[in-house]
Amino acid sequence: MELTTPGVATLSRDPDEPARGAGDAETADVALAASGDGRAFERLYRAHVARVHSLARRMIGFDVADDVTQDVFVRAWTKLGTFRGEAAFGTWLHRLAINVILARRTSLGTERGRYHDGADVLDAVPSRPVVNDLSLDFQEAIGRLPDGAREVFVLHDLEGYKHEEIASMLGIVPGTSKSQLHHARMTLRKHLDR
Amino acid sequence: MTRDQWTDRLSEYLDGDLGIAERAALEAHVASCPACEAILAELRRVVARAQAIDDQPPTTDLWPAIAQQIGVSSGGEPHGVVSLAARRARRRLSFTVPQLAAAAAVLLLLGSGGAYLTLQRGTSPVPPLPAPIAGARTGRGPTTTLVGWEKTRAKYDVAVAELESALEQGRKSGRLDSATVRVLDQSLVTIDSAIVQARRALAADPGSVYLNQHLADTMRRKLELLRRASAFAPART
Repeated sequence: MELTTPGVATLSRDPDEPARGAGDAETADVALAASGDGRAFERLYRAHVARVHSLARRMIGFDVADDVTQDVFVRAWTKLGTFRGEAAFGTWLHRLAINVILARRTSLGTERGRYHDGADVLDAVPSRPVVNDLSLDFQEAIGRLPDGAREVFVLHDLEGYKHEEIASMLGIVPGTSKSQLHHARMTLRKHLDR
Repeated sequence: MTRDQWTDRLSEYLDGDLGIAERAALEAHVASCPACEAILAELRRVVARAQAIDDQPPTTDLWPAIAQQIGVSSGGEPHGVVSLAARRARRRLSFTVPQLAAAAAVLLLLGSGGAYLTLQRGTSPVPPLPAPIAGARTGRGPTTTLVGWEKTRAKYDVAVAELESALEQGRKSGRLDSATVRVLDQSLVTIDSAIVQARRALAADPGSVYLNQHLADTMRRKLELLRRASAFAPART
């Protein structure tokens, strides 16, 4: 039996890299915003708010996603002077967003019991009912994963970070990141559309 | 290796994290194990499904609230640096933590001359020496002032970094409750924004004695807030 090449989980796209031409405009907007141009910063906000808000929603929940997103952009405004242009603005903003989200989840006191490693994790999310209940779709299932598994799954499979990076962000070891990811995937496979 | 142990390695296989020998062994197992083969196919679908999820914007426009917090117009009017009076009014409203009585040496060094050079350093790789402005400078020569400011700036950066680290420890350890953290965060954002705004205003009017003093005052307030917060954190244990 021949298996397909492993490594399919690696993101093939770079969501932070703006299209050619758009990148020049964004670079100009970053420079303008850093010099105090609010309209340029609003354009940056419009271009990136969906990604930041989606990240916040998936990582920390719908209820506080608006508030966290506002925090991210306010902090971005105050820290624009530290952006060196060594990476895409979207990459810089994304890392800033993750830092804000992780600080917020800590302040919310949700860190306890975050990293479950037992089989009970697989029972934390009810499996897709056999009969006619389609309300729990895939994204809802992600939101109902235990915190640690959800964070690792979002950062790895949706955002494209490596285990070493995730481990550094979350203060865990790479092995825990791999284990949490596997648990998350094993849980979510029960919620695939069939 | 049991079937469960093989199953636990399937994600690593998918991600290309297995060594050559492990990968070959797992592929041999999967070829003879319909259950693992089925799970592997499902895991592939999970990954593909995750990567196909589109980002969605918030249901309400957050820009007006953000614009208000950072002090720019949210629409209809030209954007740009908000008037100094408006910034000062906002800062008074949102900066709720009182100043500390004791000031560290680095705070004392944050004088108007230092603040002036802060602007110059912040806007140019090689700071131009300021032209003399009556009543706005100390009697020190420019070289002495620059060297002195470099030391002050370094001390300020170190002090801020240390205090922010202490505050972060307070957050992580839970010694600061979430309501306190939110007040502190908001105050720091307000002060950081005021520092940015002051530097930008000074870029347009580098000779302004008032703006120089305003920047120094704002930097001092940030240090004072951080000092107070970091001192408060361990007191709650």
